Amino acid sequence: MNTLALIILIFFSGATLAYLSSLISNKLPGWVALLTTMTGTVLFYMSFQNEQALSFSIIGLNLEWALDNYTILFAHIIFGLGILASLYSVQYMQNKSQQGSFYANFLLSIGSMFGIIISKDFISFFIFWEIMTWSSFLIVVWNGIGFRKNGIWYMAMSAIGAYAMLTAIVLINSEIGTYSLQAFFNAVQENAIDNLMLVSILLLIGFAVKAALMPLHIWAPRAYSNTPASYTSVFSGALSKMGVFGMGLVLIRVFRFSGLQDNFDYALVSQFTSHVLAWLGGITAAIATLYALVQKDAKKLLAYSSIAQLGYIVIGLAIGTKLAVMSALFLAIMHAVFKGALFMAVGAVERQVGTTDMTKISGLIRRMPWTFFVTLVSIIALAGVPPLSGFVGKWMLYEALITNGNFFLVVVVFFSSTAAFLYSYRILFGLFLGQEEDDTAHVKEAPATMVIPMVILALFLIVTGTYPGIVFEPIAHGMEYLGFTDVTWNMTVLSNVWGDSVNLQYVSTTIGVAFMLALIFLTFKGRKGTRGVSTKDISTSGEIPLEHENLTFQLDFFKPFERAAAPLYKRSITKIYEDVANGLEALFDFTRKIYTGNGQTYAIYVVAFLVTLLIVVQNML
Amino acid sequence: MNISPVHYIALPLLAAFLIPLLSKLHKELARIVPGLVFLYFLVISVVLMQRLETQPMISEVIAGWSAPWGINLVFTPFSGFLVSLMSFIGFLVWVYSYHFKKIDYMPAQKYFILLMMLVTGSIGIVLTGDIFNLFVFLEIVAISAYSLTAFYPGRDGAEAAFKYLLVGSFASALILLAIVILYTQTGTLNMADLAVKMHEVPHYLKVIIFVLFLVGFGIEAEMFPLNGWAPDAYSQAPGPIGAVFAGIVVKGGIYALVRVVYTIFDLSGVGTILIALGLVTMIIAELAALRQDNLKRMLAYSSIGQMGVVLIAFGIGTDTAIFAALFLMLNHALIKSMLFFSASYLLYNSTTKTIKELTGMAKHLPFVSFIFALGAFAIVGLPPFSGFWSKLYFLMAAADAQMVLLIITVLSVSVIEIIYYFRVIGKIYSKDETSELEPKKPTINSVLVMTVLGALIIIIGVYPDLVTDWIHHASDALVNKSNYIQNVLTENLPR
Repeated sequence: MNTLALIILIFFSGATLAYLSSLISNKLPGWVALLTTMTGTVLFYMSFQNEQALSFSIIGLNLEWALDNYTILFAHIIFGLGILASLYSVQYMQNKSQQGSFYANFLLSIGSMFGIIISKDFISFFIFWEIMTWSSFLIVVWNGIGFRKNGIWYMAMSAIGAYAMLTAIVLINSEIGTYSLQAFFNAVQENAIDNLMLVSILLLIGFAVKAALMPLHIWAPRAYSNTPASYTSVFSGALSKMGVFGMGLVLIRVFRFSGLQDNFDYALVSQFTSHVLAWLGGITAAIATLYALVQKDAKKLLAYSSIAQLGYIVIGLAIGTKLAVMSALFLAIMHAVFKGALFMAVGAVERQVGTTDMTKISGLIRRMPWTFFVTLVSIIALAGVPPLSGFVGKWMLYEALITNGNFFLVVVVFFSSTAAFLYSYRILFGLFLGQEEDDTAHVKEAPATMVIPMVILALFLIVTGTYPGIVFEPIAHGMEYLGFTDVTWNMTVLSNVWGDSVNLQYVSTTIGVAFMLALIFLTFKGRKGTRGVSTKDISTSGEIPLEHENLTFQLDFFKPFERAAAPLYKRSITKIYEDVANGLEALFDFTRKIYTGNGQTYAIYVVAFLVTLLIVVQNML
Repeated sequence: MNISPVHYIALPLLAAFLIPLLSKLHKELARIVPGLVFLYFLVISVVLMQRLETQPMISEVIAGWSAPWGINLVFTPFSGFLVSLMSFIGFLVWVYSYHFKKIDYMPAQKYFILLMMLVTGSIGIVLTGDIFNLFVFLEIVAISAYSLTAFYPGRDGAEAAFKYLLVGSFASALILLAIVILYTQTGTLNMADLAVKMHEVPHYLKVIIFVLFLVGFGIEAEMFPLNGWAPDAYSQAPGPIGAVFAGIVVKGGIYALVRVVYTIFDLSGVGTILIALGLVTMIIAELAALRQDNLKRMLAYSSIGQMGVVLIAFGIGTDTAIFAALFLMLNHALIKSMLFFSASYLLYNSTTKTIKELTGMAKHLPFVSFIFALGAFAIVGLPPFSGFWSKLYFLMAAADAQMVLLIITVLSVSVIEIIYYFRVIGKIYSKDETSELEPKKPTINSVLVMTVLGALIIIIGVYPDLVTDWIHHASDALVNKSNYIQNVLTENLPR
């Protein structure tokens, strides 16, 4: 049997099995899920180097599945995160009820993500896309709380995106008479599609919803923060990348290598669209970062941070030069890794302490040292500071933007990366540093099966910080599928067009040595007895604070900043959406006036309709 | 015994007379006999559908008078498709409501006789080849539907039935008028013969007849603005009857409309009218559904909206579009009846039937809630459930006809559909608070029915080829008008 079909089948039957096993015991589904992802992953890695293809037909439509290098790049993200998240999940979900439906949807969404990337025709692409949407939707609403706020928005926005995509798909089919992706790309080359721009823009809207690009992002903060952390790492790390996957295909394969660049109108429109998209990416990065800054809940903070990070990736893809695309794909992989790790770390805190509210927790560093280590490494990568891999991605993005002449975007990206320092410090400080509180004294480190996946991700960040070539290799192959030629990369050396080059090994060695020296120095210095103080033990101008007064640093952490940026926060996009939605609903109330419930009115309608039709139709036919 | 389409009509009529007598022997017979009739419907459907493999259609004349003078029943792949679907849904409704009014046998007897007549009438509409006979069957349907709407004693039921009666009598009058004009002009009532002689009718009269038919059948087909009766009737009739209305009766109305448009008339530009009417029907109904507090009314409006989409598809009129329309009808019959079945249990002990009362029902009725959620997923067209394929084909037909705006409108309305269905699911699965309704455990036969429907929806979703051949034959038969005329007129030549 074909391996691709087998992997899909394993995930889908694993989902059924996970649900059924919950009828026996609530503990089983987690293990079933772990086993399923392991089998699927092993199968994939055993066979992914071979040529794989499968085609079959269903009600006269040809469906094709195949592997290519671009697919394999994203498959690494899906399976890597999938297997770590399902290992993490076993202990994380331990005491929760209804694990059957959680794991069933968990497996369905991983399986359907793999389905999306192997689809070589629009029909199976769309089917898997929708399965992914509703299975992740069911996890968002899984705990049954706040459905109206979280679930409906996610489903409604996803539906808008999916239907934009579906419109594009049927339009493409009506023009070229097939749903095959390859045929579509060929038709684009030959300029055989009349409304190519409309189709491309509709497809981009569909992908932008999943990538949470502003202004289509409003579902994301709520959906990300409402799901169990073991799934959020997949949700933010891999599922949002499906939007990136699709955007890459449209922006690069269709816009950049369409063979229509000589056509003036086409070039104008496609460049305009790319520019708009790049700017939307920039705006997304900036605004989401600002929102992340003022969040008090660690999960919400990470949710906004995910939106911001995807903004950078979209910028890279929209600019579309070789370097920009490379940086975008690099950042996409790195985002999957560090955001996966961060969500897991916050999830560990949530499980051990019971909350992720940063104003309530502090000083967990001694209680959860491993989690602290993972968080530290991940935020360094997130902020783009050497010697970790986030730096490499940002470096390339800056260079791509500067060489392409997008100086404004450089400013925007620079602004939001700087602001990202603030929120990433906040999450580190809020959860792990500061005073140790008595009520967290009993907290222990998370169990090993939760720590191991996080640490693996953190180690990956450290290694790729010095040897980014590990990641560049699959990216370069993927880019060749997209149409680039001569994609060059170096294992440890970053060089730019101006002739400078940085050897990352020196950088990381230097920083490593400096870090060790500082550590030794601080350990010696700290050996002199330190005095433990409680939160309340501070100078308060002679007034003794009352018991209920919260004096932790975490409260009003960036107060001066918030005060300065207050006008920005007044207008919330979410609020606008809600107002529009409520306004529309009120407007739709006119239907109540039509259906009065009065029999006489209905009789009048019949007569009036008859007369109108007689007049209108007499003239029409 | 030689099986023929006449059995669809003769047997239930006989049974309806016998049931009151038989139930004197044993009360349970009032429940069993209709079931046997439905089961027999299924058997003849299978036999006749198989016979269609060797011959293009089965045409049966009644009382030895051959067409165009006598009444004939025509079993084509198209009518066969609808008849089999109706028989199947009818049978499921019977299984589902077997325990209806368990203690009271008189109401149960009434219920089962009326249910049987409702299904028979709808099947008759589809089978008959005679326009006046069609009118008669329409009346049978209407009268049983009025009585079932007013089934429960009380003001609301009577009011709903009265509204239905008021609008329904308009329908009868208009259709009768149209038939009278047609008869004076052509001197025949046989539909195949009418189609041949249609060119004799002056154009202005043709248009008037067409409009009269359109409005008359439009009332049964729940076309806007003639559908005011529908939400009331759906919400007042006994629970399973909602499934019959949505799954069977509306299909009869649509069939009549389509038969008139496609077979009898040859007017150009009719498609545009159907598209416009379907579009308005769909938009208004879905917007109304968004604002409903009453679950059954919401389902009723959603059903109207779906019929709007079917009308649009028939209006587009290409092969793909008709295929999509028939597929939509099949899906709608299966899914909507499943939704009505599960909704009846969710709101079993409620007097007001509001959505608010559903809060947290999933805890008490996990299976029924799951079925409702499955139905909602399928009806909004999420893959891999059956609703997806019909939606896809509908959109393909619209795209081939270059109707981009239409696609965008239909899909925007679909977003609204998603919102109101998922709101209900959210209420059912909410853990914020719990419902005060006393849950009623579903009986074993209703669980069986819901399982069968749920399984069918998933199976067709994963493997649509199971039904598509059937639908292809049906749509070919509908499009191929000259074949229909020729076969009816030659096969029923005087012997």
